Amino acid sequence: MNATIKGFIRKEFIQTLRDPRMRILIFAAPIIQLTIFGYAISNEIRNIRLAASFQPGDVLAERLFERALSSRWFLPARVSGQDPFTWVQSGQADAVLVAPTGGLTRQIQRGQTQVQLLVDATNVLRARAVERYLQATAAAVAADLQPGAVPVPAMTFDIRMLYNPSMETSFFLVPGVMVMLLCIITVLLTSMALVREKELGTFETLIAAPLKNWEILLGKTLPFLVLSMVLVHLILLAAVLLFGLPMRGAYWKFLAAALMFVCSTISVGTFISTIARRQQQAMMATFLFLFPALMLSGMFFPIENMPGGLILVAYLNPLKYMLTLMRNILLKGGDDWVFWSNLAALAVLAVVAVAGSFNRFRQTLN
Amino acid sequence: MSRRFYPSRALSIAHKEVRHITRDPFTLAWAFGLPVIMVLFFGYVIDFNVREVRLVAADRDATRASRELLTILRASGYFRLLPPVPGQEIQTGMVQEKTKGVLIIEPGFGKDLGAGRPAQVQVLLDGADNSTSGLILSYLGGIQQAAAARLSGAAARAPLTFSTRYLFNPELNSHWFVIPGLAVVVMGILSIILTALTVAREWETGSMELLLSTPVRPLEIILGKLAPYLGLVLITVGLIYLVARLQFGVPFRGSHLLYLLGVILFLTLCLAQGLLISVAARQQTLAVQLSFIAGLLPALLMSGFIFPIESMPAFFQYLTFVLPPRWFVAMSRGLFLKGAGVFELALPLGMLTMLNLLIVAGALRAFKTDLEPRRAKGRTEGK
Repeated sequence: MNATIKGFIRKEFIQTLRDPRMRILIFAAPIIQLTIFGYAISNEIRNIRLAASFQPGDVLAERLFERALSSRWFLPARVSGQDPFTWVQSGQADAVLVAPTGGLTRQIQRGQTQVQLLVDATNVLRARAVERYLQATAAAVAADLQPGAVPVPAMTFDIRMLYNPSMETSFFLVPGVMVMLLCIITVLLTSMALVREKELGTFETLIAAPLKNWEILLGKTLPFLVLSMVLVHLILLAAVLLFGLPMRGAYWKFLAAALMFVCSTISVGTFISTIARRQQQAMMATFLFLFPALMLSGMFFPIENMPGGLILVAYLNPLKYMLTLMRNILLKGGDDWVFWSNLAALAVLAVVAVAGSFNRFRQTLN
Repeated sequence: MSRRFYPSRALSIAHKEVRHITRDPFTLAWAFGLPVIMVLFFGYVIDFNVREVRLVAADRDATRASRELLTILRASGYFRLLPPVPGQEIQTGMVQEKTKGVLIIEPGFGKDLGAGRPAQVQVLLDGADNSTSGLILSYLGGIQQAAAARLSGAAARAPLTFSTRYLFNPELNSHWFVIPGLAVVVMGILSIILTALTVAREWETGSMELLLSTPVRPLEIILGKLAPYLGLVLITVGLIYLVARLQFGVPFRGSHLLYLLGVILFLTLCLAQGLLISVAARQQTLAVQLSFIAGLLPALLMSGFIFPIESMPAFFQYLTFVLPPRWFVAMSRGLFLKGAGVFELALPLGMLTMLNLLIVAGALRAFKTDLEPRRAKGRTEGK
């Protein structure tokens, strides 16, 4: 490597890291965000506000209600007024158990076993969870009441969770947040880099300099690659130390996956940078890439059953491959087939984006 | 410099900004087209009902009963059962990400059932993917009773059953749940980025200094610059509303006036946030980074759009109070689906108003202090 390109790369490094605000944004912000999101978000539905409407003295209904509240899923709702429907509508309660007018205890004795349940279904996920949780509660109450009379079900599922036996949500979400942060930082930084030069007019100077095309592109991307790899390790450290994420796979696999992922996102960023004429356009293109990429990473909702043609979009998403890799390496110890196939997919994406950038770059020059 | 506020000056700045926008078809397409496309696309894509989850089923019992159980599972439509790969350990499929779970029917299953002893089926699920495993759990829970009844031949007599009424969304339609929230997230992030970038651009190219040296006051500049964007995004909101109603059939049960009020409160907040970011960054690259980090991620993850706020630890629940999307998502769902009125929405409305006062005041202050020569000089050195 000659002195010109060395100097050029050095200049890019200094330029990126000179601004203290940029340093904070690259290194501190992702760690802070990982911490906040890691502790805050979970996809388990808890603290559902439950209310019950029953006559005083209805022992069974009362017991069902209390039993539900003693689980970690429900909280008592503070309600005012008489009508259960308005409790839900006004948002005072998420679900209401409504005992029949004659009392649940009496009704059960007469052989009718239905309890009415009103659920606020504006949140579909919560609505499903409410019914599931209450069914479990009802079974427990019934078993308590008359241990002999309730037949043991003829068949049950004995379910075990592998890789994450305590169903720790952070095991599942932290790798996702890690990948998201990494993706945003790298794509944004690189997508703005070349365009900025174009907009400020320094691009002409750059072309006039004794540098080959690939040297310019290399100089514009290598510093970000190095910075991102530093960031990867900071994030991994935070994930392991703060959230106790296990690192069951080989470190070199993690490193290779991270490197390939960063290469692919940086290539996408560079490609955006070469097609955009102004920073505003670059940002729009970045958003157009990032938002779907984040949404379709498999972190927010399962992407296995996306409708036909749309699944193609999911296959173009580096985040999907990286998330699979991270979960597999961190939690399952890294299977060879998964590792190599996903790595190859990332490599293909990177190569396509790099080829595209080169092509565009040459066109810009002519 | 005169201290009075002249609406006419703000108006002429707005006029100039409108011409800027209309001249650039890219911005227009972005502001109108993109949000609508996003809502359409994700409206279709996001689905919380997983069908045909791949499960490896190892029938080591191979009796009539075990085969019947597999038929029941298959017929439910939730699962696609795959045979185990011979000569391979049964969990390997999960490590290779080829399946989300394994179902093992041990020898003696049919015999146990026949003898009236409780029979067990072992299920191993992939805990690394909580969202799918959670769904499998609930599907299995739903199937278990029916399957037990059919296999044992005895009528299922559950001790207590629920007749559930799903209010406001009786069919548990994912679209109805997702779209009001999605619209908020998309709208919010777009308006933050749009303003952050436009104003940062003025700083970067130096035209802001020029503008400030004219007799126009800072407040007039801000209002003049933001008003056109408010109008632009309002039109976009209208388009998104039409998509939600016509394309996805989401009902709107509340008051449109209240919705408009909420939209305006929320959008001014986003625009003010964008303004704050641009003053802090003064450079487009930085402004965009800040917008994404401070605008997009919290809106996606902590607004209650998908991950429930109620499940967060108390401290983080309070932390979400400062996020405008959190309040507007709640308001939007209430208005679209529940037909909530002013009383039910008092808290979100109040919080949006309060945040508005805080952030707009903050943005104005930051904008003003930024003009003082001492600080401005310190800033430009960094460039």
